[in-house]
Amino acid sequence: MIEITIDGQTVSVEPGTTLLKAARAAGIEIPTLCAHEGLPPEGNCRLCSVEVTERGKTRLAMSCMYPANRDGLVVRTDTDRVRTARRFVLQMLADRNPKAPALRSLCEEYGVTPSAPEGVEPELCIRCGRCVRACETNGTNALSFAGRGWEREVTPPFHEASEDCIGCLSCAEVCPTGRITWEEKGRKRSIWGRAFDMVECERCHDRYATLEQLRFTGTDPETARLCPRCRKTLQQGRIRLGNREL
Amino acid sequence: MEKVLLISPEKCIGCGSCEMACSIGNEGEFRPAVSRISVHRFEGGQNVPMACLQCEDAACMAACRTGALSRNEQGVVVVDRAKCIGCRMCVMACPFGNISYSRATKSAFKCDQCGGDPECVKWCPTRALEFLPADTVNLQRKRAFSATMAKALEEVKG
Repeated sequence: MIEITIDGQTVSVEPGTTLLKAARAAGIEIPTLCAHEGLPPEGNCRLCSVEVTERGKTRLAMSCMYPANRDGLVVRTDTDRVRTARRFVLQMLADRNPKAPALRSLCEEYGVTPSAPEGVEPELCIRCGRCVRACETNGTNALSFAGRGWEREVTPPFHEASEDCIGCLSCAEVCPTGRITWEEKGRKRSIWGRAFDMVECERCHDRYATLEQLRFTGTDPETARLCPRCRKTLQQGRIRLGNREL
Repeated sequence: MEKVLLISPEKCIGCGSCEMACSIGNEGEFRPAVSRISVHRFEGGQNVPMACLQCEDAACMAACRTGALSRNEQGVVVVDRAKCIGCRMCVMACPFGNISYSRATKSAFKCDQCGGDPECVKWCPTRALEFLPADTVNLQRKRAFSATMAKALEEVKG
């Protein structure tokens, strides 16, 4: 264990713990948009910046990526410099994505008013990359960033429906702004330009998953015939049969 | 000592108290749909409560890619909501339908035995649900229960 100081509080942490985790454990809130505990950090949103003093030098660092690995590290999360940096980042994010609900309360807190430059279409994607990392973590790798600068965007390769996508919706679930949408109509689920056939439960006919999802998970075909709810009922029926014999 | 959740379907009267206790305790509302335990009421007054079996070789845990599912010191498989990314692979993988996904909380949810003090057990009026030390006698009962289940399964297959 090593000891670091966050906003005057002494916190003892395992070496390698990120400053964000250490701060949160100490009850100090740091705003984030791209951080997700189930995904590797990537420092994309630049919102979690903090001031770090190490060996006499003070600089801004992304707390989600910065590992605490030296005794006596001094971290400040609410200085003028930090607030200015966060305000700058928020201003840019909000100008391009004025309607993103995730940004609204942050803008209020930091006194930022979105003012989109002329000719800029309002968007919802803040390029945080949670969706890309979720897809990577799942092992499906159907999404990535493409393009540079202003043109940078999240897309399946070559803007085509991806063969690797399994329609699990993880990307949409982790999206902080609601940019990623999908549709379920009849027997089809559509996302990222691809339509998936839904598998129907043999008993209740609930369309509970895509075929690709079940294949990817490696669900036993016998198990996959029923939706989770009906699997449970079947199991309960077996217990009942068992009891009758007792 | 570790404890085990023992279910005796023959004692269950199908009152649903466990579902109510579970949903209010875990979700703050009386709603069997979000309960981690559910009772199936068969004809002839036979009722079977069912909750996660905390499998030794848990399919849900094997399917989870983010480490949101793990086994705690009590041998119970628990969900870390903050780590769940909503891929639902655990739901697909569980052969017993004992783990579900909530769009509202954006996380999988399952029985975690309320961290060592299950609400369902407290409210079961007939002691069809019991939470007892995993000693020889109780483990024996649990094994006997599994054996009848396995036997019934064989008959269904045959």
